[in-house]
This record gives sequence, structure tokens and C-alpha cells, in this order.
Amino acid sequence: MTIQSEATTTSAPPVFGEAVYFDGRSNRKRKVALRLEAALEIFEQGLHVGAWPYGEVRSVHGRPGTMRLRCTKALPLARLEISEPAVQQAVAALCPALEAAGQGRVKTGKIVFWSLAAVCSIVGLSWFGIPFAADRLAPYVPFAFEKRMGDAVDGQVRRLFGGKECDSGPGHAAFLVLVNKLKDAGGLELPFQAHVMSSGMPNAFALPGGRIYLLEGLLQRARSPDELAGILAHELGHVQHRDGMRRLIQTGGTSFLFGLLFGDVTGAGAVIFVSRSMLDASYSRDAERNADAFAVGVMHKLGRSPTPSGELLFRITGAQTDKSLTILSSHPLTEERLAEMKKADRAATGPELLSAAQWAELKGICKWQAPNLRFDTLPGRTQSPQPKWPSPGPGVNPGQGRGD
Amino acid sequence: MNDMTVPKIPISPVLAPVDFPQAAAPAAPADSRVAFAAGRPAFRRLVLRGAFLELVTAGFYRFWLATDMRRHLWSHTTVEGDAPEYVGTAKQLLVGFLFAVAILVPINGGYFWLGLEAERVQAFASVPLGLFYYVFLQFAIYRSRRFRMTRTVWRGVRFSMTGSGLNYAWRVGLWSLLVFISLGFALPWRQAALERFKMRYTSYGNLQGGFEGTGSGLFKQGWWLWLVCWGLVALPVLAIVLSTGFEKLAAVLMLAFCVQVLLAPFIYARYKSIEWRWWASGIRFGDVRFSSDLRPGAFVGLYWKVIGWSCLLFLGLTIWMSATFGIGFSLVGGAGTVEQKMLMLSQHWGLMAAVAVGYVAFVLAFWAVMRIYLIHDVWQRVAQSVTVHNLAAASEVAAQQGELAGAIGEGLADSLDVVGF
Repeated sequence: MTIQSEATTTSAPPVFGEAVYFDGRSNRKRKVALRLEAALEIFEQGLHVGAWPYGEVRSVHGRPGTMRLRCTKALPLARLEISEPAVQQAVAALCPALEAAGQGRVKTGKIVFWSLAAVCSIVGLSWFGIPFAADRLAPYVPFAFEKRMGDAVDGQVRRLFGGKECDSGPGHAAFLVLVNKLKDAGGLELPFQAHVMSSGMPNAFALPGGRIYLLEGLLQRARSPDELAGILAHELGHVQHRDGMRRLIQTGGTSFLFGLLFGDVTGAGAVIFVSRSMLDASYSRDAERNADAFAVGVMHKLGRSPTPSGELLFRITGAQTDKSLTILSSHPLTEERLAEMKKADRAATGPELLSAAQWAELKGICKWQAPNLRFDTLPGRTQSPQPKWPSPGPGVNPGQGRGD
Repeated sequence: MNDMTVPKIPISPVLAPVDFPQAAAPAAPADSRVAFAAGRPAFRRLVLRGAFLELVTAGFYRFWLATDMRRHLWSHTTVEGDAPEYVGTAKQLLVGFLFAVAILVPINGGYFWLGLEAERVQAFASVPLGLFYYVFLQFAIYRSRRFRMTRTVWRGVRFSMTGSGLNYAWRVGLWSLLVFISLGFALPWRQAALERFKMRYTSYGNLQGGFEGTGSGLFKQGWWLWLVCWGLVALPVLAIVLSTGFEKLAAVLMLAFCVQVLLAPFIYARYKSIEWRWWASGIRFGDVRFSSDLRPGAFVGLYWKVIGWSCLLFLGLTIWMSATFGIGFSLVGGAGTVEQKMLMLSQHWGLMAAVAVGYVAFVLAFWAVMRIYLIHDVWQRVAQSVTVHNLAAASEVAAQQGELAGAIGEGLADSLDVVGF
């Protein structure tokens, strides 16, 4: 063996370069000599230690100025480190696949392409998949669960809008008459509660769990029971379709998906917010359209026209002619809905939903206060039922106590 | 005696030059300093390019950026002329991240539902869930350290790390509770216990790792910082107790607050340099020891630079937002109150896009600043302060056939926003 190696050393071309070699089994630092023949030959003290085929040599990250090489055919952690620039250039010239892909080398362009593809697929999933999932899942969520969610939010909502609930008196009775007519006509199976709040904002909305809120501001702007009934029927439609639950799943799913996938590294919170609100608006546009269809059905069944409620909406929100706002606004174009309701217009074939007296009482629902029943009012008294201590007679100082 | 023969001096056999077949390598010096090769501009370019690509790829590029940063840092650090090699790949991080997402989806869902139920029962019932997340995070940290260890190779031999992340996690939970109860007094002992735990399961090839730093050692170096901290916290309280008038009280409180804010970076920098020095001095691998002579004020400059850059970037963000809204207002025109205009404007896609771009650019620039100063510069200062003793004990280490750790820990840590090297 020794003779043979001596024979090869004497007839071989002179040593080309020096390098440091790690065999991948121990951490001993070995000084080796390199010979660039048919393959990269490695010699330590004249003994042939290894041969790396040029096509299998790859470069890995090393100290700046040092060329660190590995071989796909050798042990995974075997390394050659070359410091002399001339040798580095020679090796680089001979090895065709030095910077080849694999072992973590991916072109930046590919990363960008696949990232954008991933983003598109996530957005697509959110746009189509989540509404679909929400549609499928919402009916299966027990109503009790939805009601609990609504209860959790209820307190906050009341605080948000301020004001108190107007829940007593003849106005409230009239309100319940109206709501029950709508419920019977719509065939609503789910339990719901309707409340009137004394806030001045013109709005009505439905929360998950069958809670419907009518704000006094909207009540005051309504000119006839038909106008109010259409809007209440619209909210009943939301309850019937479990839109609260659906929206919860959609919003939760979207923000979860976006937030988890993009993480906080890029601070893509803004991106999440924008995409979320854009997507949320499109979901609720469909929900609004369906609720409108429900309301139209209910009004027709009661023999009334749904158009007046469209006019009420138009009066409140004003004509929204700026089309660029539509994708972000959570209600479809008011003119569009008005047009839909005009199409559904019908001559009145049923009785008035509320009598004139009931309507007047409903309008005054939040101003009504319980009378003191010790002093019953005279029948036929038409003035507003304000509690009045019956005046004991002129001359008594009102500031004095009653002395009972 | 005039002979020409060389007097035969009796030479001890040990000193006689013997012809070894291998050229005698120079005896390894007993101590060698860790060196960090210059390369800051390259790192800065890497980080800035990475930030831009993160923007373009909606954040997915962070795995490649993390890999490139680690490769840069690992390969610029040299111990006795040889730099460690980071053999991890970005694809491993990506796969780990996907696994982590699969794990976190049910956990997040459960957390959300539990939080909802708990809030209905009592307002602060979701606090225990936050604590659970904290402990879960420690599990992720342990696993991600394991990933990085097994992907670090020095002189052809890999580091390895065994042990259970769950064991680590509950230990951290208990120690953190103790630190909380003792108002921070138990912190040195917590750090010592956790480092001992981690190093017990770490090894280089077949060299067992260990940690010899003690809690009392760290305490001795930094107890006065603890006092200063609580002194600063007590300043406003003292002001309230000693104040005479109400107006004076407000001014004194403001002063106390300013003092707190100004001194905080100094205190934290001091603490971090003490901790790093103590940690590096306690690491052992077999008989190889380390020591560190990190200056106490090594990080002060860094932290103030980060603060300065953050203020600048925040100023830039404010200017951008004001300009965007200003231009938006002037373009909207028409009648209407300021609130109505604002409402319409804030729903316009153009404005939202501009706001999003400005915000994202700000965050990416901020992250770039953090990476340059708090990752690269901290690493550089710590590495250059370390001396390795008795490296000869690590001259014939056999490779351990341990298994490669998966990158699930990295994925979890990434999803839960843990920052590290």
C-alpha cells in the first residue's frame, strides 16, 4: 500500500492547493492537499482520503473569504474549506453545480411567486370558502349558543347607544301588536325579543340571539306604520336567517385566518383591517338583500306595500350616489334597495297594521310614564298621561309635603 | 580536547525531536478569543432587502430572511479560526410553521370559546388563559432552541439537544410565579435554574454541556439594579406622600415619570450586559470553559440608537398620515361637517390603501432597525467579548448520532411572535 501511494505521488502532477478538511465523523481539523484531476482528490499526508466528483460538489455558507464545500455523495457534514483565492477560482471553474438549488437554495423570484399565489388562495378561501362554511355551519349552531353570545353583547350595546329601554305603557303594547303581526306573517320559528331604546339615532338592528332593537330616532322619522313595519320585518328576516351567527363565523374566521397566517411580522394589521372590512361588507350585502326579500314577503302577506319603508330609508340615509363607497359600506345602495322595493309595490289589500290611536301611542312610547294608580284619571281624558298630583286647591304651597 | 565532534548532550526523550508521520500541528493555545468578522453593511443590505421582500410577499419571506440572517451571524463568528455553520433551511421553517398553524387552530378556537364563556361568568376570568398561553410559549421557545442547536455545526460536528419542552415550560411557569411573588428578587435564581436545565440537555457531539453560573453569582453583580428599579417605581409614590400642594404634585409626578422613562434604557442595558456576561461565563462543554468581559455599558448606545430611530420613524409615519388625510380632505370637497367627511373619507379604498402602505412601511422599517441593532450588534458585542478556555479538550469530538429536531417549535414561536436570534 505504501509503495503504491509512493508510486502515485512521484508520478502524479504536483499538489495543487491546500485546504482544511472535516470528515463529518469527528471534529478533528485536518490539513489536506487537493489535487484537481478527474475528481477533486483529497490527500492527507500523502494518503488518499477522499475523492469528490465535480458534479456533486456544492458550496455552503462559510467565513467571508473562505470557500466551504460539501459533497452530496460524502457524509452530510463532511466539509472542505479553501482559503487561497487561486484554488477557489480553479475549483469554481471545474464544478458546474456549485450554486445549484437544493439544501435551501431557492431563487427569490420563486419565493415571491409562490407567496403571491398563497396570498391569492387565502383571499379566495376567505372570499368564497368562509361564507360557504358560515352558511353551512350557522343553522347547526344551537340557538341557545347564539342567544348566549347575544346576551354577552347586549349590555355593551345598551351602554353604547345610551338611553333607556322604553318598555311599558300603551305604546309598548302597540309595539308588541305590530311585531307579533309581522312574526305571524313571516312564520318566525325562533324566539326573539324586540326592544325600543330611547336613543336619537335613526337606526334599527338585530343582534345574535334574536334581539331586535328599534331606536327612537327611527321611530320619530317614520310617517306611517307601514314604513316602520317594513324595517322591523327586515330585522326579523335577519333573525330568521341566523345572520348574527353567520356574521360571527365569517368575521371570526376571516380575521383569524389572516391574522394567523400573516402574523405580526410585517405589521400587516392594517392589511388585515382593510381586507376584513372589505370582505365583511360584501357578506352583509348578501345578508341585507335576503332580509329585504323576507320583509317584502311579510308585507305582501299582510296585504301592505313594502315601498314606504324604502322611502323612509331613503329619507334617512340620503341618496348615496357615490358608487365608489359601495364596496365598503355595509348596506347596499339605498337607491338600489329603493328600486327593488318600488318593483315590489302593491296596492294595499289588507287592513292597516296599527290604528291611528295605536300609532300615536307608539310614537309616544318613550315619553310615557306610569301614572300613579291612587288617583285614576277621568275616563275620556285626552291630555297626555303625565302624573299629576291632583291639586288640593289653590293656595297650597306646592313645595310643602302632603302631610299624610 | 579539541575534537570536532558535537558533544553529546543528554536529551530527555520527551524533548528529542521525533519524526512524527504527521507534521506536528502547533499546540492549540490555552485561550482563544472569539472573533466576529466585519460585515455590518452586508447585514444591513440583507435586512433591508428582506424587509422589502416581506412587504411584497405578504410576510412569507420571513423564513428565508431568518435563515439568511442566521447564516450571516453564524459564519461571521469564528472560534480559533473556524466559523460554525448554520445548516437549517427556510423550507424547514416553513413546514414547521404550517404544523404550528395546524396545532394553533384548535387551540385558538378553544381559547376564544373559553374566553367568551369565562367573560360571561366573571370579568377577569380570561386571565388564567393568558397565563396558559405564556407557558405554552415557553414550550415553543424550548423547541425552537432545539431546532437551532441541531442545525449548528462547528468543525463538522453538530450540536444536539434533548429534553422535553413540556418539562421546561412548567418549570418556567413555577419560577416566574416565584419571581412575581418576590417582586423580582428571585430572578437571578430563576435564570440560573433554567440555564442549568437547558444546558444539561445540550451537547456538542459527545461533549456534554453544562452550566456553572449560579443565582447568587448573578445576584451579587446586579442586586443594586434591583434596588434602583424599585426606587424609581417608588418615586411617584414618594412624591404623593411628601407633596404639599396639588399643583406641585402634578409637576413632581411629571418629573418622576420623566426620570423613570429616561433611566429605563440605561438600567435595562446594564442588566442585559450583566446577564450576558454571567451567562457566557457559565457555559461549559465537557472541559471547555468560556468567559466574557462584556463592558457594563456595552448596550446603552445601542438602545438609545433604537429609541432614536423609532422616534424618527414614528415622526415619518405621522407626517405620512397627516399628508394622506390632508390630501384626502381637499379632494373630497363638497358640503358636510368634518365628521361626515371623515366618515366618507375613511371608507374610501384609496385612503385605506395609503394608510395601509404607510403603516406597513413603518413597521417593516422598525423591524429592520431592531434586527440591525438588537440582533446583529448585540450578537457582535457579546461574541467579541467571549474567550474560550481549554479548547484542546474539544479537539477530538465524535459526532453524535442524535436525531434532528423538527421545526415545529420554530413555527409555534413564529406564530406566537417570539423574537430571537
